[in-house]
Amino acid sequence: MNANIYRHEFRARLRSVLIWSLALTLLTLFFFAMFPVFADQAALMNEMLAKFPRELLVAFGMENMDLATVLGFYSLIFFFIQLCLAIQASNYGFGLVSIEESELTADFLLSKPVSRTQVLTSKLLAALTSLLLTNVVVWVSTFVAISLFREGRAYDLATLLLLLASLLIFQLFFLSVGLVISLLVKRVRSVTPYALGLAFGAYVLAAFSGVFGDVGLELITPFKHLDATYIVQHGAYDAPLVLLNVAVSLVALAASYWLYIRRDIPAVS
Amino acid sequence: MNIFLRELRANLKSLLIWSVIISLLIVIAAAKFSGFAGDPSMLAMLDSMPPAMLDALNMRAFNLTTLSGFYGLMFIYFGLLGAIAAAMWGSDIISKEERDKTVEFALVLPVSRSRVVTAKALAALVNCIAFVLITWAVSLLAVRPYNPDQAFFNFLALEMRAMFAIELIFLAVGLLLGCAMKQYKRASATAVAIILVTYFLSIISGMQESMDFLKYFTPFKYFDAGELFRSGALNSTYLLLSAAIIVGSVAGAYWTYNRRDLYI
Repeated sequence: MNANIYRHEFRARLRSVLIWSLALTLLTLFFFAMFPVFADQAALMNEMLAKFPRELLVAFGMENMDLATVLGFYSLIFFFIQLCLAIQASNYGFGLVSIEESELTADFLLSKPVSRTQVLTSKLLAALTSLLLTNVVVWVSTFVAISLFREGRAYDLATLLLLLASLLIFQLFFLSVGLVISLLVKRVRSVTPYALGLAFGAYVLAAFSGVFGDVGLELITPFKHLDATYIVQHGAYDAPLVLLNVAVSLVALAASYWLYIRRDIPAVS
Repeated sequence: MNIFLRELRANLKSLLIWSVIISLLIVIAAAKFSGFAGDPSMLAMLDSMPPAMLDALNMRAFNLTTLSGFYGLMFIYFGLLGAIAAAMWGSDIISKEERDKTVEFALVLPVSRSRVVTAKALAALVNCIAFVLITWAVSLLAVRPYNPDQAFFNFLALEMRAMFAIELIFLAVGLLLGCAMKQYKRASATAVAIILVTYFLSIISGMQESMDFLKYFTPFKYFDAGELFRSGALNSTYLLLSAAIIVGSVAGAYWTYNRRDLYI
């Protein structure tokens, strides 16, 4: 790892990290501010919902969502937090090394006396630090929002910690998958469309399987690997799916190193 | 004309990728619909629910056992994908010249900057039209096994018009961002921000009565599938509002691009 590259990369992303953190904080606080009103109404609604057949509720993805409880409501917000973090992480992943090529700075960087492995490690660590920073902000704003708006309703701290801890696994997935795709294609012209495609694609698939019940879509989309409603209901991760998720991330990371060390990088002509 | 043709060719791949994504979505969804189609027990369940609750869940419009109700549920995904695609095309088609360091070349050609913007905007517009038509065609093919009736075709036509309107709004906004942003990287980043914010606003405004006024700020709510289904027509207030946004953004795009300092 090279301190100069790390510092440069970290600084280049600082602004983006600040904007994402601010947006996520606002999102959490704003959504949670609706909780007190919602909880009162939802208590009534839940009574009604309890009378309906399970199939119907499954079809609408509501069977395990109890909006009257702190965690039930939080898992609703959590889905959106995940979406934002997915976009951010895949943005960083896709841009990690491809930006050097599109901005024609790759040959400058690679002519420095550092190995490609070192370049990639430093960049990865810098991106991870940025993601961790955002993650910490989400933790803080979640606790602030809950303590501000829960109005004495109890919740299970251990489950909340499990939820929040899952965000890091989630970010790592999009970072490494984004990175490996950016290395598999010949040239990434613009990072954003790729990142949006990956993040929203996974999101739509997950939202979709929520609406229509399950047909194995949860195997592909990380939103289902770390499904908030599942975690809240069981107080634990869906272990096989989480392992699958982590395995995909690790394989993608290893493949990225392999590809990057062998990559043919076009010089500026 | 040359610029127009060149842009069309350059964007063809992107259009193909988006078309594949939306086709996959439709095909998967149509396959899933078979579990719901004409299931009377499902219908009985929906009937037994109190009307207030159906309203609360915005399910009154969506009788999932009929094809139209099912497509009403799908509309938000069409709108979302259309919006992302259009905003990306709009902002990218202008800002990519600066990213690829070709802007000086493009602008020393004997055409005015306005002509450049016009040609590029038209190319992006053709892409949007093609995207809607492909969605439409794939939908028609995908629902063939369920013998759709005339009412469904009408509703589908309405939905596609609404999707096109959403696309136009985001295309215009994307163009404006591409033209107005000093740095090319900011253009697509801002476009993402706008899409996310408007999407969240549309969800919030649906969740709570007191937040209802937010619907004026989010194009996703201008064309709400439930509303479309009930009224059978596009709401003229929202159409006017959309037209205002589109005209304003496009005018802003020309105005700023003619005056801007290039980022090289």
